[in-house]
Amino acid sequence: MPEIAVPLALPHVTPEKKTRSKSKLDSAWLVICWNDPVNLMVYVTHVFQIVFGWKREKAEFHMKQVHNLGKSVLARATMEKAEHYVHQLQKYALHATMEPEE
Amino acid sequence: MKLIRAEKDQFTFGLNQRERELLFQILKMFPLIPPSHHQLSKTGKARPEDQRLLDEAVAEQRGENAKRVQAFLDEPGKFREIQNEIQFSLALAEIEWLLQVLNDVRVGAWLALGEPEEFALPKIEKNNARYFFAMEVSGHFQVELLAALGHDQSNYFGKS
Repeated sequence: MPEIAVPLALPHVTPEKKTRSKSKLDSAWLVICWNDPVNLMVYVTHVFQIVFGWKREKAEFHMKQVHNLGKSVLARATMEKAEHYVHQLQKYALHATMEPEE
Repeated sequence: MKLIRAEKDQFTFGLNQRERELLFQILKMFPLIPPSHHQLSKTGKARPEDQRLLDEAVAEQRGENAKRVQAFLDEPGKFREIQNEIQFSLALAEIEWLLQVLNDVRVGAWLALGEPEEFALPKIEKNNARYFFAMEVSGHFQVELLAALGHDQSNYFGKS
């Protein structure tokens, strides 16, 4: 059976323009809460529950990480979402930052 | 200060005259955290424009809370004297912003004291006594408000 030649038509692909801001927006950021020994443990637990909608057990787990280890990664999110979380935590005067995931 | 009753999202508290004066003094200290304190990234990896946006958001939010504090202090009839006790009511949302304001004062006082570790507080002197006062009194009211929301301080053993 003769082979039928199938024309090879590659789609025209325009090289994707990657901008710094686009790639930064898409990459993952870690929302970290750092230990400030002045904050009451009960307060930190409450804030985690409010900001992330967590149950008390999960909020306490992360609060204890902050207390015992000096920091806790609270979320892995896009840049925009991470900024939102950091601002919410800072509204409550917690020491929160966002760092790019290595 | 103690919780008298909680109905839906309305919480009624009772306090004595001295506690009311302390609460007012603490609220008048807001804001105490320097505006430049809030940083988006600890490692300096956030873009300057994102840091600027955060600065603007923090400034706006502090302005809103400052207005709320003033309205709270000025609201006629907010504090009612009933049988030698002063009572006032707070909605859930009011408790949230009060917690934010109280912790701003508490953290701001701690920063002013040089960010000491829990057991390495500096000696109380004339020039720093107001910050010790602010830390202790704001913490007292935070605990009472959180207890009203069901957070039992006795489950914990210190500070975060």
